[in-house]
Amino acid sequence: MPAIKVERQMLPMFASPNQGARFYNPELPQTEPFVPGHRTCAGCGPSIQYRMTSKAAGDNTILVGPTGCMYVANSSYLCTPYNVPWAHTQIGSAGSFTAGVAAAYEAMIRKGKWKGPFPNIICEAGDGSASDIGLASISGALYRNHDCLIICYDNEQYANTGIQASSRTPYGGMTTFSPPGKMVPEAKSLYPKDLARMMAAGHPHCYVATASVGYPIDLMNKVRKGLNHKGAAYIMIYTPCQKGFVYETPRSIDLGRLVVECGLYPMWEWDPEKRKFDYSFRPQNMRPVSEYLKLQGRFGHLHAEHVATMQKFANMQWKMMGVELPDALVRAADVKNVRDMGAAQAAEAVALTV
Amino acid sequence: MSTKGTHIPDWLAVPFAGITPAPSQEKGQDLFPTGNWRSTRPVYRDKMPPCNNACGTNEKIQGYLDLVKRGRYLDAYALIKEDMPFPSVTGRVCYHPCEQACNRGQYDEAISIRAVERFLGDFGQALPKDVVKAGPPNGRKVAVVGSGPAGHSAAYQLARLGYAVTILEKSPKAGGLNRGGIPDWVLPQRVLDREIERLLELGITIRTNTEVGKDVSWDDLKKNYDACVLAVGLTEPNSVRAEGENKDGVIYGLPFLRDIGMGTSNVKLGRNVTVIGGGNTAIDCAREALRQGAEDVTMITVERNPKEMPCVPEDLHDMMEEGVVLMHARAMTAVLGNGRVEALQLYPARFSGAVNASPILIDREAPAERFPTDNVIIAVGQHASLAWLPAEFKNERGTIRIDRFGRLGDTMFFAAGDIAQVASGQPLMVVNAVGDGKRVAFSLDRVLRKEPLQERMVPIDVITDLARMNMTYFPHFPRLKQETLLPTFRRHTQEEVIQGFSGNQAFEEANRCFSCGTCNACDNCYLVCPEPCIVRSVRSNGLYRILTDYCKGCRVCIEECPTGCLESVPEMDFDTGVVRMDTAFAITPGLHGRQAEELKNLADRPAKDIENWK
Repeated sequence: MPAIKVERQMLPMFASPNQGARFYNPELPQTEPFVPGHRTCAGCGPSIQYRMTSKAAGDNTILVGPTGCMYVANSSYLCTPYNVPWAHTQIGSAGSFTAGVAAAYEAMIRKGKWKGPFPNIICEAGDGSASDIGLASISGALYRNHDCLIICYDNEQYANTGIQASSRTPYGGMTTFSPPGKMVPEAKSLYPKDLARMMAAGHPHCYVATASVGYPIDLMNKVRKGLNHKGAAYIMIYTPCQKGFVYETPRSIDLGRLVVECGLYPMWEWDPEKRKFDYSFRPQNMRPVSEYLKLQGRFGHLHAEHVATMQKFANMQWKMMGVELPDALVRAADVKNVRDMGAAQAAEAVALTV
Repeated sequence: MSTKGTHIPDWLAVPFAGITPAPSQEKGQDLFPTGNWRSTRPVYRDKMPPCNNACGTNEKIQGYLDLVKRGRYLDAYALIKEDMPFPSVTGRVCYHPCEQACNRGQYDEAISIRAVERFLGDFGQALPKDVVKAGPPNGRKVAVVGSGPAGHSAAYQLARLGYAVTILEKSPKAGGLNRGGIPDWVLPQRVLDREIERLLELGITIRTNTEVGKDVSWDDLKKNYDACVLAVGLTEPNSVRAEGENKDGVIYGLPFLRDIGMGTSNVKLGRNVTVIGGGNTAIDCAREALRQGAEDVTMITVERNPKEMPCVPEDLHDMMEEGVVLMHARAMTAVLGNGRVEALQLYPARFSGAVNASPILIDREAPAERFPTDNVIIAVGQHASLAWLPAEFKNERGTIRIDRFGRLGDTMFFAAGDIAQVASGQPLMVVNAVGDGKRVAFSLDRVLRKEPLQERMVPIDVITDLARMNMTYFPHFPRLKQETLLPTFRRHTQEEVIQGFSGNQAFEEANRCFSCGTCNACDNCYLVCPEPCIVRSVRSNGLYRILTDYCKGCRVCIEECPTGCLESVPEMDFDTGVVRMDTAFAITPGLHGRQAEELKNLADRPAKDIENWK
């Protein structure tokens, strides 16, 4: 059988001065595959991510939307804000559906039924789908190395059903499934699943990266790298959820930066060629975790020891990235130097009455 | 969800289950206009950057820095020329109040605005033809008395408005204080000559060696011209009222500089020179004295320390580098010597702070100090010479009597520059004179056209401060220094001390600008909008559009706007300056609404329309 020639789209990288802070990007494409008129909340983080991702991908793109906010809020009444082909799939079948789309295009090209470049196939799974329910199918798609990009937009909870804890919900994060109270004052005592490292470790032939909406150019570049990579790629993107995190809507992008600056969301890339993590991304500042926590109502109940525990967790992440810790951060991991979050007493009082 | 092959009846042509038109960026998805979720809306409103506000002539500094960082030097030069006739001069001599006001100064270091201005000025000087043209002639003649900064500026603006302008200058060369008060090693004569050429290119006539009161009388001005701008400046040096001030070897600062500038100087300085005064002219005199052959120059000031001296700190620093010695808290009371200066008598002194009495308190109880010197240069300010002015226009303080628009009573005479500003408390600097000349030119134009006069040239709404801006987007970046000649070398030569920027340097320095309060099309709001309902049609200043049908009012764009140009306006509570959305809570009904309308009319239609739709 003669070798089939597959025409691939190679997307150029954006110039990124100051690691993602942006000034005058003339290369930003005009194309807009994600348009207004959807019913996400004001200041929705996943929606910001969706827009940036699709803009980076361009018009020749197929989007797959397993159940989650970006399906429920966007495709009501059988119409969608997508200017490109989009299909919904079950929450558990994100990976298998995406693999099917990719395989179908491979087959159509082989049979000569599809002329033109191979489309960018992007699956936009929430963290519920990617870390809990659809984990197996996504792992399968990555394992079989279908030419697709699977994105986990990580808002750290099941948001469209009303804020339930997922395995990505951080330590101390309050949800309806993890309320703070007498027995568990920190609300959630389990640590989040390190999903992206799991994918990198388990599927080392794939391009894997983490990104945050706080660094849009970096995010769009990682999406393009993932799409340019021949084979499966996986990106986990931090997307704040205003309803679940309980913050002022204007802070969406700010939180995306703070979570990185506080060391709670390490930014890295897995290089499938060298089989190595690339930890070269550095935020402008390093801050104690309390700066990130204090903006969010879901951490309002935390006591000093919990904040110190989170700081320890963050410090371990910094060490993992090979960053030398400033003294201030080491001190902040000591309970003696940390104060309760503002609403800790109030939250306790409420918990007692319930 | 394709509708291909499906017949759609008229009344279902609007979208219905499963049949939707393709969404577009401009129109959105059209089914869910989410704008009615909003309680506040983002509004682009450009505010006054602090540099523009601080500038004596309100140059659009943020504007031309923005153009320079896009590499559009010609546009930047044209923009600067709107307010400033000679950027190559102010780019060298200005005391840059803009840089003191620069918001970047509170963050790391202020932008080197003067250096960029000088770069643009030199860029403009190299052009074979200036970008500015004279306005269509309106048949009116205006005389401008004096060709210093104010006169130059007024003549320039009037020529652009279409007046036939004649400049009357009493010296043999035009330029006024620019030529006579500023030494060659700050402003080379060839730069000024080129700027005067530009004036002539605008069709302005310059009559040198023509003094008002001597060659031209007040009545001549009245008779021969429709209007007249008096920009004669302060020409007579103040004395310190010391004994023996008329002795040989006592020189006054301004004539000293003026004679050197005009090339008519015959002063021979001795080895030791003393300068009395602590202002900019005194500094220029001290540095010029070094270049005229003095070996040791001492400056005597009443101020107690260098910080109190009313001068540009950079010039003071450069002077100290060249080896001038400062003596503080002393006043000269007498010039000693037999017909010629041999020494000065000094007493401790301080400023009294009194308004009506003598501002300087001399402590005569203390022992007098004898300070030997060969020459003394007195540079303690200057006053106007107004002998030619009719008495009715003089006020009790010996200055010109004008209203706040610079007009002399009901006459067609206007005054501009130092002569008008001397009593106003404004600093008497080149750029302030230029600004005054510009304002007076526009006032004169309005009077001649019989239009009401305007109180302010530039309306100030809000002056942007750092608190309004998002500093995350600005990495720290040091200020580019202009190169200077070595102090040991420059103190003996007339060569220009401070060197200009290259194109690359100007670009890099302009790139540091925050664009405080002004949209500079950085695409930030466009990129962070979650909807996305911010549309970028043409990439240029302020040309984003917010689709208010969809904006949910999350204010992410406002928070993330680096320059603070976006602001939040409550939806039902608009102030002036913002266009009220005519349908604040009843925005377009979307396709649902249109469909409901269609269905309401359904009963009126004949039944067959519905049933026989094949």
